[in-house]
Amino acid sequence: MSRINKNVILAVLTLTSSAFLLFQLYYYKHYLSAKNGAGVSKSKGSRIGFDSTQWRAVKKFIMLTSSQNVPVFLIDPLILELINKDFEQVKNTSHGSTSECKFFCVPRDFTAFALRYHLWKNEEGWFRIAENMGFQCLKIESRDPRLDGIDSLFGTEIPLHYICRLASHAIHVVVFHERSGNYLWHGHLRLKGPVDRKFVPFRKLQFGRYPGAFDRPELQQITVDGLEVLIPKDPMHFLEEIPHSRFIECRYKEARAFFQQYLDDNTAEAMAFRKSAKELLQLAARTLQKLGVRFWLSSGTCLGWYRQCNIIPYSKDVDLGIFVQDYKSDIISAFQDVGLPLKHKFGKVEDSLELSFQGKDDVKLDIFFFYEETDHMWNGGTQAKTGKKFKYLFPKFTLCWTEFVDMKIHVPCETIDYIEANYGKTWKIPVKTWDWKRSPPNVRPNGVWPISEWDEVIQLY
Amino acid sequence: MDDWTPSSLIKPFGARKKRSWYLTWKYKLTNQRALRRFCQTGAVLFLLVTVIVNIKLILDTRRAISEANGDWEPEQDYDETLGRLEPSRRRGSGPRRVLDVEVYSSRSKVYVAVDGTTVLEDEAREQGRGIHVIVLNQATGHVMAKRVFDTYSPHEDEAMVLFLNMVAPGRVLICTVKDEGSFHLKDTAKALLRSLGSQAGPALGWRDTWAFVGRKGGPVLGEKHSKSPALSSWGDPVLLKTDVPLSSAEEAECHWADTELNRRRRRFCSKVEGYGSVCSCKDPTPIEFSPDPLPDNKVLNVPVAVIAGNRPNYLYRMLRSLLSAQGVSPQMITVFIDGYYEEPMDVVALFGLRGIQHTPISIKNARVSQHYKASLTATFNLFPEARFAVVLEEDLDIAVDFFSFLSQSIHLLEEDDSLYCISAWNDQGYEHTAEDPALLYRVETMPGLGWVLRKSLYKEELEPKWPTPEKLWDWDMWMRMPEQRRGRECIIPDVSRSYHFGIVGLNMNGYFHEAYFKKHKFNTVPGVQLRNVDSLKKEAYEAEIHRLLSEAEVLDHSKNPCEDSFLPDTEGHTYVAFIRMEKDDDFITWTQLAKCLHIWDLDVRGNHRGLWRLFWKKNHFLVVGVPASPYSVKKPPSITPIFLEPPPKEEGAPGAAEQT
Repeated sequence: MSRINKNVILAVLTLTSSAFLLFQLYYYKHYLSAKNGAGVSKSKGSRIGFDSTQWRAVKKFIMLTSSQNVPVFLIDPLILELINKDFEQVKNTSHGSTSECKFFCVPRDFTAFALRYHLWKNEEGWFRIAENMGFQCLKIESRDPRLDGIDSLFGTEIPLHYICRLASHAIHVVVFHERSGNYLWHGHLRLKGPVDRKFVPFRKLQFGRYPGAFDRPELQQITVDGLEVLIPKDPMHFLEEIPHSRFIECRYKEARAFFQQYLDDNTAEAMAFRKSAKELLQLAARTLQKLGVRFWLSSGTCLGWYRQCNIIPYSKDVDLGIFVQDYKSDIISAFQDVGLPLKHKFGKVEDSLELSFQGKDDVKLDIFFFYEETDHMWNGGTQAKTGKKFKYLFPKFTLCWTEFVDMKIHVPCETIDYIEANYGKTWKIPVKTWDWKRSPPNVRPNGVWPISEWDEVIQLY
Repeated sequence: MDDWTPSSLIKPFGARKKRSWYLTWKYKLTNQRALRRFCQTGAVLFLLVTVIVNIKLILDTRRAISEANGDWEPEQDYDETLGRLEPSRRRGSGPRRVLDVEVYSSRSKVYVAVDGTTVLEDEAREQGRGIHVIVLNQATGHVMAKRVFDTYSPHEDEAMVLFLNMVAPGRVLICTVKDEGSFHLKDTAKALLRSLGSQAGPALGWRDTWAFVGRKGGPVLGEKHSKSPALSSWGDPVLLKTDVPLSSAEEAECHWADTELNRRRRRFCSKVEGYGSVCSCKDPTPIEFSPDPLPDNKVLNVPVAVIAGNRPNYLYRMLRSLLSAQGVSPQMITVFIDGYYEEPMDVVALFGLRGIQHTPISIKNARVSQHYKASLTATFNLFPEARFAVVLEEDLDIAVDFFSFLSQSIHLLEEDDSLYCISAWNDQGYEHTAEDPALLYRVETMPGLGWVLRKSLYKEELEPKWPTPEKLWDWDMWMRMPEQRRGRECIIPDVSRSYHFGIVGLNMNGYFHEAYFKKHKFNTVPGVQLRNVDSLKKEAYEAEIHRLLSEAEVLDHSKNPCEDSFLPDTEGHTYVAFIRMEKDDDFITWTQLAKCLHIWDLDVRGNHRGLWRLFWKKNHFLVVGVPASPYSVKKPPSITPIFLEPPPKEEGAPGAAEQT
């Protein structure tokens, strides 16, 4: 009796467990595909076509934006990459001739669009219509950083991101705001309050981990997979900007606190210096941008930005940093052409290069070239009289965008480390006498130039 | 699932076999032992796989959740916001549906407390005399409006009637008297109080105290009154304590169609009172105006900064006229509110505009000045592409062709460096001195009151040296100083495109407004085509003036310019008069003449190199200051310039002379 029961039990067990297993496999697959559109598409293999969720979501979204005049353009890196690969062909494709869904059906979680906020006229009704069309939308707002520089203004919050979900695909609308300095800015996607944290896999978003800054792209209309979309005219340039687009805001609050403690210098000379320094910086930035040379605010100019969001009036010069691998021989001539003659040149490309240009009104432009070692960066200094060499050591850093004197400009992302290396922990206290050979905590003697090389490495004009 | 696993692992399945039909059938087919073993192993394997899949699933889900939570942490600010919102919510939806209201009326102090929170307290000396009125939302108990009507003074009772009539039925009304509120409380007002159910209100006497709580159109909820015993004394202080039952939210709201606009309207109307038909249940006034677009609008993308204080009713009127002007683009408008005031912000939200609040920094004039600076800086930050900004104030009506006027003239600011601004306001453009809406002038003074500022002027010159808070300067006075203006001029129309209606303000009072602003001419004709705009450029304008002076008829200088007969009774002629003006800053005769003409005489406005242009009796009337003006050369040798003596005694000029 018991033997039979055992066998029956075994059979029942086997059946249930297989049923269970089947159910679990099904659920697992379902879960995967919900989480990641790839699941379905991959399993379908060759059936990638115009019925994919991605394509349908994008199509609906484009219908919505064109009917509601929402000024969007495509910025999805994955799709732009694909478009860029056979750009010529895409450009020539006319409306009807698409037979295969090549771009918008590619498996992915999101499709990213940028919204040019200043062109947007009917912000209000849009959300509701999107929801009526079947989208589930999430709006992320924040205070307007353009007001942060001004004392005690509280404005209506501005939208930063919209995420609209349709079935398993989501459209990520990154709101691009115009900023002073002729660039577009988008905000940090930060979830506040009772937001469904599993609304979409936020981790996988391509934009929003940090605020970002982009050149204002020219746009063009193309037809992709039967859908008309606007994309940047130069998708390559836009794609190149994405990984380096991180933006940091000036610390306006701390700057105000600084001015409360030390009072701003509003004398006529200070204002005149600031004005000429600003013009020099803008001229230098334009010139270097034209050459395609990356540069950032260094030394005193960087400190001025970080500490007081302005040019330090007694700093007497404008300091920029350039990685030596970005050095171009025509830098000097380019500066000369815009009316900035070379004042001195120390070192050589291989070692301790430093250039100085003479701006108007006795304001000097110093360009320090940075050399990268395995665990640190450094730039060199040379004392003209003695030929002594110095080395200024910095921890490794990357470059971020910021806004300074109405310009989009680079600064080291790890600004505090950079500044503390250069000015020590007491950088917050203004110091008017600064000996560049002794005062910086990161200065190291670096020997002496051999006299035979002096003609080359110490050039004064 | 896991509980099942061990049982499946029970190893030996004994030796006895033939019992079930199933097994019999199985054994017949193949080797029994081998099959049984196979089945057992299969089952065990199956179960094992199931377990593994299960565990994987659990792990996977976990990871996905933690991934999603990862960096996207909630912000702390949120809790604070929530904290702030809580009390009001609790009151609205809590179980207690009754408000306890305290109202106090006396000679020197009034206060009103709702559920223990003081919503009105006034014990300042020499202020707040009259009837204080508070309107509460009948569903939430929120204060929707707070007004004081000095019914000791004339006409204030009319304002009170106007206000009380605007309040929606069902609202809770609270009235209390401070000092004296009956002297100019006329019959209409008393009848209205009677219709509200008040016993004492209609019989309110000299220096009586009175406290009243009632529902508009409904029952009286409490009233107390104390008669003044004698002419020289006041009634005893009265304290009224009463319970006000709250009604449901639905009763308090109108049933408008569910549109985006009405949602804004509902939000507004549930918070504030005193805006008339915008909150009327039947047929409310529109809050969207869609005026005709302007063909070839050159100012479509010019940001508009509206500088406001805490005068929400003014702001409401101003925004209505602004949004009705042809060619307006609402998304370019930003309202800057000087202070952390809610009601102006509500007005801004009603119209769906952008509002920015500015926490006060310093006092009075300097505060206005700092507010201007912050607003202008913010405007150019918000619209970095803009080369101009339109600056408006909350107490202006905007002409229907305001943007058309700017669109036709704005290119001058770009092409002519000798220009400082374009202003919609002609200081000397009164009903009797302005005629031609198509005519523009160049003037050396900066009129303000609706003007266009060039970004480069602001960023390069004004912003860096803007007066700091400790300098208690008026921004407009500062902008008119020669150090700032540097000889540049403003373009103005003959007939103003803005109208200054504010009578409550920093530098403003009723008398002053009546004397200098009420009779100002304001253009109401749409689509006026400006005449010969390019002749306003520096050189062209000089040629134009010379032409005008050449053809102008010289008036009879022996007559008294203060007499009406000084100008012949013609129409459409051009006349010129020469007055004495020894130096560039000698305005003795001009000031007297301006007094006679009943135009702005508190300082010099509207001059261009010693020349004033205006209309008088429908004739173009030019006044040239001799010999300071370069146009003195046009004076016929026989003419002696008019000299008017200033009155011997300084008359008490009313208050300050600025128009911020």
